[in-house]
Amino acid sequence: MSVLDYIWLGILAVFQGPEAFSIFGLAISITVIMVISGFFLGILVGATPGLAGPVAMAISLPILISTFGYNTDALLPVLGFLIGVMKGATVGGAVPAILFNTPGTPDAFMTTLDGYPMAKRGEAKRALRIAHFSSVSGDTFSDLVLIIGAPFLAIMVERYLDLPEKTALLILSLSFISAVVGGSVGRGLISTGLGLLAVYVGTGEDFYPRLSVGTQTLAQGFPISTSVLGVLIIGAVFKELDDLRSDQRASRMKPITTSDTNSALTLAERIKLAPTIFRSAVIGTVVGALPGIGSTLAATLGYTAAKRRHDDAEGGKFGEGVPKGIAATEAANSAVSGANLMPVLSLGIPGNAAAVFLLLAMDSISGFNPSPTVFKFDPVNLNPELVMAFGIFTTMFLANALNWTVGGRVMRSMGFMIRIPKHILLPSVLLLTLTAIYVQETRIEALYFALGFGVLGYLMRVFGISPLPFVIAFILGAKLEETARQAYAATGNDPWFLFTHPIAAVFVALSVGVMILTSRKRGSV
Amino acid sequence: MFQWLKTGAAALGIVAATALGAAAEDWKPAGPVKLMIAFAAGGGADTQARLIAEELEATLGWSFIPEQVTGKGGLNLAAAMKSEANDGTVIGMAVTETLGYNMAASNSGMTPADFTPITTTAGFQMGVVARSDKGWNTMADVVAAAKSGQDIRFGVMSPRLADLAYLLGKAQGVDFNIISVKGGKAVMNGVNAGDMDIGFMAGIQAKGVAAGDLVNLASALKAPLVQTPDAPTFADLGVEFSADGYFMFMGPAGMPDDARAALANAIKGVVENTETKAGGLIKKAFGGASVIMGGDLDAMVASDYASAGDLLKAASE
Repeated sequence: MSVLDYIWLGILAVFQGPEAFSIFGLAISITVIMVISGFFLGILVGATPGLAGPVAMAISLPILISTFGYNTDALLPVLGFLIGVMKGATVGGAVPAILFNTPGTPDAFMTTLDGYPMAKRGEAKRALRIAHFSSVSGDTFSDLVLIIGAPFLAIMVERYLDLPEKTALLILSLSFISAVVGGSVGRGLISTGLGLLAVYVGTGEDFYPRLSVGTQTLAQGFPISTSVLGVLIIGAVFKELDDLRSDQRASRMKPITTSDTNSALTLAERIKLAPTIFRSAVIGTVVGALPGIGSTLAATLGYTAAKRRHDDAEGGKFGEGVPKGIAATEAANSAVSGANLMPVLSLGIPGNAAAVFLLLAMDSISGFNPSPTVFKFDPVNLNPELVMAFGIFTTMFLANALNWTVGGRVMRSMGFMIRIPKHILLPSVLLLTLTAIYVQETRIEALYFALGFGVLGYLMRVFGISPLPFVIAFILGAKLEETARQAYAATGNDPWFLFTHPIAAVFVALSVGVMILTSRKRGSV
Repeated sequence: MFQWLKTGAAALGIVAATALGAAAEDWKPAGPVKLMIAFAAGGGADTQARLIAEELEATLGWSFIPEQVTGKGGLNLAAAMKSEANDGTVIGMAVTETLGYNMAASNSGMTPADFTPITTTAGFQMGVVARSDKGWNTMADVVAAAKSGQDIRFGVMSPRLADLAYLLGKAQGVDFNIISVKGGKAVMNGVNAGDMDIGFMAGIQAKGVAAGDLVNLASALKAPLVQTPDAPTFADLGVEFSADGYFMFMGPAGMPDDARAALANAIKGVVENTETKAGGLIKKAFGGASVIMGGDLDAMVASDYASAGDLLKAASE
C-alpha cells in the first residue's frame, strides 16, 4: 500500500460510492450529488444576509444523519454535503457584504470596507469577481497545504502550544484586535470589554449563573447568534434606517447600477492582485491551523497586512473601494477553511463553527475517528481511516472545481438583490435575521436579546466604536476563560503560568507591545 | 437465515412496543410535547433524545418540539422546567446526576421533589481513559508515573467527577492536576491533543478504544466496563464512591401516573429496540439500553440525592 494507492482509493470512494442514479449507463455516485447540492445551497445561504454556512450546516446535519444513518457508507455523502455548504457559503458570504454592507458571517466584515464603496461606485460586479477569484484561490491554496501539511503541522502546533501558551495566544489575539481594528486603542478595548462582559453572563464553572441578577432569563447567557447577528447585522440595519430617516434624499436616490460591460478581470489585473492574495492565503492558512482562532482574525490580519503594504498614491485609500482590500480579506478568510481541518482531522479539535459541524458528523457516523492515527500510512494493513481522509480531500477538490467553473456565475447572479430599494430591503433583512435567530434559539427571549444587541450595535456605530472587537471577544471569551482555568489547574495551581512558560511570556509581552506601539503611532500622526 | 432472524426480532420488538403502549391505558399527550434537552446540540445525548422523539412521532403519532436548555449539569433545564405544565406535554432529557449530586451541591433551592423522573435510557460507561501511545495499560502505571514525579493532568466534566478524581488520587497517594471541562467530548479532545494525560469519558471513548487509539485504565463504575472488563473498578482502587449514572427523561413534579407510565413505556420500546436509530446509537456508544422506571427510579433518585452529601464530605476532608 503506497501513498498513491491510498490517494487512489480515496478518490474511488467518492466516485464509485453508492449510486444515486445513472445517466446512459454511467453511474453517478450519491457523494457527488451531495457535494453539488451542498455547494449551491451554500452559495445561496452565504449570499443571504442573516444566514451563514454554519447555520445551514447545523440545520442539515440532523436531517442528513436521519436520511443516511450511522454506517460508514454515510460518511462521505454527509461530509461531502457539509463541505459543499461550507465552501459555497465562503464565496457567497461576500455577496451581502459587498451589496448590502452587511456581512452574512463575521469573517466577511472586512469585505464590506472596500467592497461596499466599490458597489456604491457602480462596480458591484467587479467587486464580486475580485471576491470570487480571491476566495477560490485562497481556498484552493489552503486545501493543498492541508493535504501536504496535515500530518506534520497539526502535531507540531499541538506539541509546542500547551494550555498556558494557548491562553496567552488568545490574550494576544484579543489585544491585537483591540489595538488594530477599533478607531483607537481605547475604543477597541471598550468594544472588547463589552464583548467579554456579554459572553460571561450566565456562564462559568459555578452552579450559580454568573451576572444573571437572579433571573431565569439570563441564566443561560446570551446565545451566540443573538449577540453576533444583533450587533453586526441588526445594529447596522438600525444605523442605516436612521441614516435613511435623517437623509430623506438618500432613500429616493436611484438604485446603484452595476457596470456590466466593464466587470471582467483581465489577466494583468489578476497578476497584480496575486501577491496580495498569496500573502493573505498564507496568513489564513497559518491562522486556520491554530485551533480556536477562526476566519475572522485571519480576515483582519490579511486586511491589515495588505493595508500596511499598500501605497495610497497608487490606487486610492483602503476603505474607499480598493480591489486589494477585498482580495486581502476574501483570500484570508477562505484560506482558513482548509487548514482548519488539520486540527480537526488529526486531533479532533474544531477551529471554527463550520469545523464543529464536520466533526459532529464524523463523531456520529462510524468509520472515522479523528486522531493522529488517521495519518498513519500503514504499508501492510489497509488503514481505512486514511482512505476516508483522502475521500474527504477529494470532496473538497470536487467543491473547488465547481467553484472555479460555475461558482462565480452563480454568485454574481445574486447581484439582482441590489435593485431592491432600501426601505424594503432593510426591514426584510431585519425579519430574515430575526427568523434565523428564532430558528436556532426557539425562545422569544432570543429575539429581545437580538434587538437589545442591535441597539448596542447602533450606539457603538454612532460613537465610532467598531463592533468587530465586541464580536471577536464574544466568540473567544468562553474559550479564553476555559483555557485559562485549565492552564491554572494543569500547572498545579500556578497563578503565574502566563509568565513562567517562555512562549506564553513572549505572547503576553507582544500583547502589551502591540497596544503601546499602536497608541504611540496613532498619537504621533 | 440470519436475515429472517433479524426480521423476526424486529417484528417481536414492534409487538412488544405495541403491547407496552396498550398497557399504558391509551394515554396521549394533550398537544405537542416540549422536549427540553440539557446537552449541546449534536452531541451523543442530544442525538439520542431527538432520535427517540422522531421514532415516537413515527410510531405513535405524537409530536415533539425539541429545545436546548444546556448548562450546569442539567440544573438550567431543571430550573426552566420546574414551573412548566405537568400533564406530560413538557419533558426533558438530563442525567440522574442532575437530580442527585448537582442539585444537592448547588444551593439552587430545588430538590428532586420538584420533578417527576420518567425513565432512564442508558447507563454511563464511565472509564478513566488515556491515549494508548502514553504506554499505560492500567491505573497502576499512571500512579507509578505520578510517584516518579511526573505531573498527571486529569480531565473531568462535572464537579462530582472532580471530587472522584481527587479521591482516587488520595486513595493512591498521589496528587492529580484536575482540569474541569464541559462535557465528555471536551475531555476526549483534551486527551487526544495531549492537554490532559487521563480523563473521565462516559461512553464516547468506545470508538477510540475499539480502534486502539485510547485505553480504558479503570472503570469508574461499581461494575467493570463492558468494553474493557479487565480494568479495575474504583472499589478495587480504594475509592468507595462511583460515577454510576444514567441518561434520564424527567418532567415537572406531580405528573399523573398514566402519563408518566405511558411516556416511560413508549421510550422504553424505542431504546430497547436496536433496530431503531436511537436504539442503534445507544447500543454503539453505551453498550445497550438500561431502562429503570417507576418506583425503582424514584428510589434511585432519592438515594442519589441523599448520598451526595457523603461524597461532598469525603472530598472536602
